[in-house]
Amino acid sequence: MTLLLLFNITNGLIVGAFYVLMALGLSLILNLSNVINFAHGGFLVIGGYIAYAISPYVGFWGALLLAPPLTAVIGLVVERVLIRPLYGRDPLYSLLLTFGLAFMIEDLTRFIFGPQGKPFAIPAFLAQPLSNELFFITGYRLFMVAMVFVAIALLFVLLRYTRLGIRIRAGTLDLETVAALGINVRLLRSLNFAVGIFLAGLSGVLAAGQLGLEPTMGTGLLMPSFIAIIVGGIGSLPGTLVGGLLIGVASGVTAVFFPAASEAVIYVLMAVILLTRPRGLFGEEGMMG
Amino acid sequence: MTAALTAEGLHTYYGKSHILQGVSLAVAEGRITALLGRNGAGKTTTLRSLMGLTPARQGKITIFGEDTTRWPTFRIAAQGVGYVPEGRRIFANLSVEENLKVPLERGGPWTIERIFKLFPRLEERKLNRGRQLSGGEQEMLSIARALLINPRLLILDEPSQGLAPLVVREVFRIIQQMKAEGISILLVEQNARMSLEIADDAYVLDDGMIVYSGGAQELAADEARVRSLAGASAEEWTLA
Repeated sequence: MTLLLLFNITNGLIVGAFYVLMALGLSLILNLSNVINFAHGGFLVIGGYIAYAISPYVGFWGALLLAPPLTAVIGLVVERVLIRPLYGRDPLYSLLLTFGLAFMIEDLTRFIFGPQGKPFAIPAFLAQPLSNELFFITGYRLFMVAMVFVAIALLFVLLRYTRLGIRIRAGTLDLETVAALGINVRLLRSLNFAVGIFLAGLSGVLAAGQLGLEPTMGTGLLMPSFIAIIVGGIGSLPGTLVGGLLIGVASGVTAVFFPAASEAVIYVLMAVILLTRPRGLFGEEGMMG
Repeated sequence: MTAALTAEGLHTYYGKSHILQGVSLAVAEGRITALLGRNGAGKTTTLRSLMGLTPARQGKITIFGEDTTRWPTFRIAAQGVGYVPEGRRIFANLSVEENLKVPLERGGPWTIERIFKLFPRLEERKLNRGRQLSGGEQEMLSIARALLINPRLLILDEPSQGLAPLVVREVFRIIQQMKAEGISILLVEQNARMSLEIADDAYVLDDGMIVYSGGAQELAADEARVRSLAGASAEEWTLA
């Protein structure tokens, strides 16, 4: 029983780490550009399939290194061509656009790579369990969690210590004043979008190694990622971090006692938190607060 | 006398309301130009139009010889226009030091070190968040931020608003110092008397139209007019 609980808590933390990675990207884009990016799961799929397509040539490590930036470049093009014309309009426009885009990406993936799942090979040494007792902790799972935390740490450093990051944070508070201080806010939004999509691409590569590839793999992660943002408090990145891990673990633990409710519990948790703290766990402090 | 900025026949709307009805003004290089007027006369709207924040529907704006009428805000600012907005608009969640890292680095005499020499108080509070500052400190920070893009033209929207008389004097002293540095200044104020003491040229705006343009001293001499302009609270203050 203890082992089963531990197994599910570990699972929950790993799934939660994915929610966090997805949700941080969503949060960045939402905070600065007021775009609710429903295509975020689509970019995760793109990241995964790029890794799959290039790994025969560059290997697993090459794919891990190259797929996220390539996904970010695709994100830049999408932002420039499709999303930028909608800034300043009702957020509903970009929501509808990205909602449609999500379907297009899914179908395009199906069209190019076929509807069946594809395996994505990871290095043999990462696939081994660490011990017989704790069979569920494979090297790859630890590696994934480590990668997620490295990405979060780098994002934190970017936002805290670079001028780009400071301007992104300033822009989420008052974009007009950032523009009045001579900053090209169009470029700022593009770069910020690219950072968010980079994180989605990274999630895609990491998820591919654990679960294999499917054209629909992004959809299941998207809703919980939105909920992670809401639970943590919109506008707060530390909140998003805590929110993602929290709903991951809650879902994992529920799977032990009442498997059927493991998905519903996420929504129940959100409802309870919104009833007690309407702005989410970290809502009042605001971004990086 | 060359102009740092000229605006000709600006018409600006908020939705359907016609706020600016043909505003024309000029800011001469190296001088302080005061733009005065009662609440709701259109002073802030004028500045927002000049900065491209609320673009004018008609008219022409020239800044340092460039037609900036259709330019986006960041490009206007990047030309060397420092803007101190109404209500200061400090980034409340960012530290003082981070607030100072937002502006474009245009290159020039102003660096964060020099800002800290001019405003020692900001250095003392550099790790505090914007929202923890007093009104006077926020005003200093807002001015400091605008100076860091190394402006040739500084546009200030009611820098004295909500500040204690002593702090207002300090702010006006700094504006005079900026003029001495060769920066052209456009100053919008409720505090007519004090503004006219430091200004060279003056405009009075009423109901979206310029009703006076000329020397600041001539306007200051027109006691009845100044009295009608001055906000009740500011009436008794002088720069002394």
